[in-house]
Amino acid sequence: MNVVIMGCGRVGAQLASLLDAEGHKVTVLDIDSHSFRRLPGNFGGTALVGDGTDEEVLRRAGVGEADAFVAVTQGDNRNVMAAQIAKHIFNVPRVVCRIYDPLRKEIYEALGIEAFSPTTIFAQLLKDVLLTT
Amino acid sequence: MRLNRILVAVGGTSADEEAVKLACNLAKRSKAEVYVVYIIEVKRSLPLDAVIEPEVEKAEKVLTQAEDIAADRDYEVETDLIQAREAGPAIVDEAMERDVDLILMSITYKKRFGVFSLGRAIPYVLEEAPCRVLLLREPVH
Amino acid sequence: MYIIIVGGGSVGYYLCKALLREGHEVLVLDKDAKKCEAFEDELGSVCVRGDGCEVSTLTEAGTSRAEVFIAATNEDEDNLVACQVAKYKFGVPRTIARVNDPKNEEIFRKLGVDCPISVTNLILEHIEEKIPTHPLIRLLSMGEEKMEVVEVKILEGATCVGKSIKELSLPSDSILTLLIRNGEKPLVPTGDTVLRANDRIIALTTTESEEALRQELASS
Repeated sequence: MNVVIMGCGRVGAQLASLLDAEGHKVTVLDIDSHSFRRLPGNFGGTALVGDGTDEEVLRRAGVGEADAFVAVTQGDNRNVMAAQIAKHIFNVPRVVCRIYDPLRKEIYEALGIEAFSPTTIFAQLLKDVLLTT
Repeated sequence: MRLNRILVAVGGTSADEEAVKLACNLAKRSKAEVYVVYIIEVKRSLPLDAVIEPEVEKAEKVLTQAEDIAADRDYEVETDLIQAREAGPAIVDEAMERDVDLILMSITYKKRFGVFSLGRAIPYVLEEAPCRVLLLREPVH
Repeated sequence: MYIIIVGGGSVGYYLCKALLREGHEVLVLDKDAKKCEAFEDELGSVCVRGDGCEVSTLTEAGTSRAEVFIAATNEDEDNLVACQVAKYKFGVPRTIARVNDPKNEEIFRKLGVDCPISVTNLILEHIEEKIPTHPLIRLLSMGEEKMEVVEVKILEGATCVGKSIKELSLPSDSILTLLIRNGEKPLVPTGDTVLRANDRIIALTTTESEEALRQELASS
């Protein structure tokens, strides 16, 4: 699978290295080259400096040929904008994005964007842990 | 303190009564005019001129009470109901328009999240009003 | 009309003032407490502090009552999301976004923003309008006869607009052969045909008379 990941934070870097280790073609985008330090030394994919909300940067990152696009920067709005460009402009078959704000996540899910809210997931997880001991 | 016009802002709390009484007492000496105003804060989800029945009813009751309190003291007050987005700026605007020389406000002793709070309107009026401002705080129960 | 503006920067500020002057009910949303204070000091209760992309702030602002929603921050992603939330969650009929990167204008339109506005594109369009394109184009030269076929675009403000062809003093060796008028079937102009702005004329002329023809049809 050919995957483009926007945002090389802890989650983005971890995901990139997992997919890379399994032999997928991975491209990681981040606005700060310093973030690429999180990638493992043996990372075989491509790391690209650039703003993922910029159509031109996404084109250069090969989003047009990607099978999947993942948006995991710190900014909900950046993730949502990049995800929509990937889905509606580049027609990437699988687009997933992170939205911290649960209400915003609901809206974009209704608009057909596959989104995950760490806020909701983690709160639910903690609740389950507390109630099952 | 020579007074010609006094503005009393009432809010429907138990502190209103003393405020109106005090205003009448202060006014009597110099035959000052007393205006009693009640501000309905209208949420943004409604237009400013929306008629919110229960709020209007409550306001009219409070204003009638103020008139009665004044009448008991043989004094006549003018009352007014104002709709605004925020009480603070509305009180200051009204004071400036009527060119009053004293604004009288009152609060009950109230704690919010365990901390004594003046709310939003009072600090605004204290900071922005051009005239004198008198604040009456009710005793702690 | 109730109008909400997200972003209390210079665009938001002047928009707010202008719309208030026209008698509209205006509310500005900004995250910055200082900016909100400045708005309130000058314009009264016209500002709420908060994130214009957040549902709770927009609920407090009474967004479902708004007829126009303008996102005017200097971040494109924020403007896009604010407009989409206003449109799809609160059903605002007209959303307008300031577009900072001109190539996002088309993207915003595709993603549902009713009216994306890029200042850069506006200025470019303005410049193009002010510099008229060359009104006479040579289509075909017939070397031996020294004849040529030209196309003349009648520009707005040209002296020949509103005149019939017989009123013009065209060079005697030039013939207006065809007239193309906004997508209609081309017609053969007669002496009584009145010229209008944006008409395109295909003419046969001699090389020497080309300038005289241009003078008659294209000077303003």
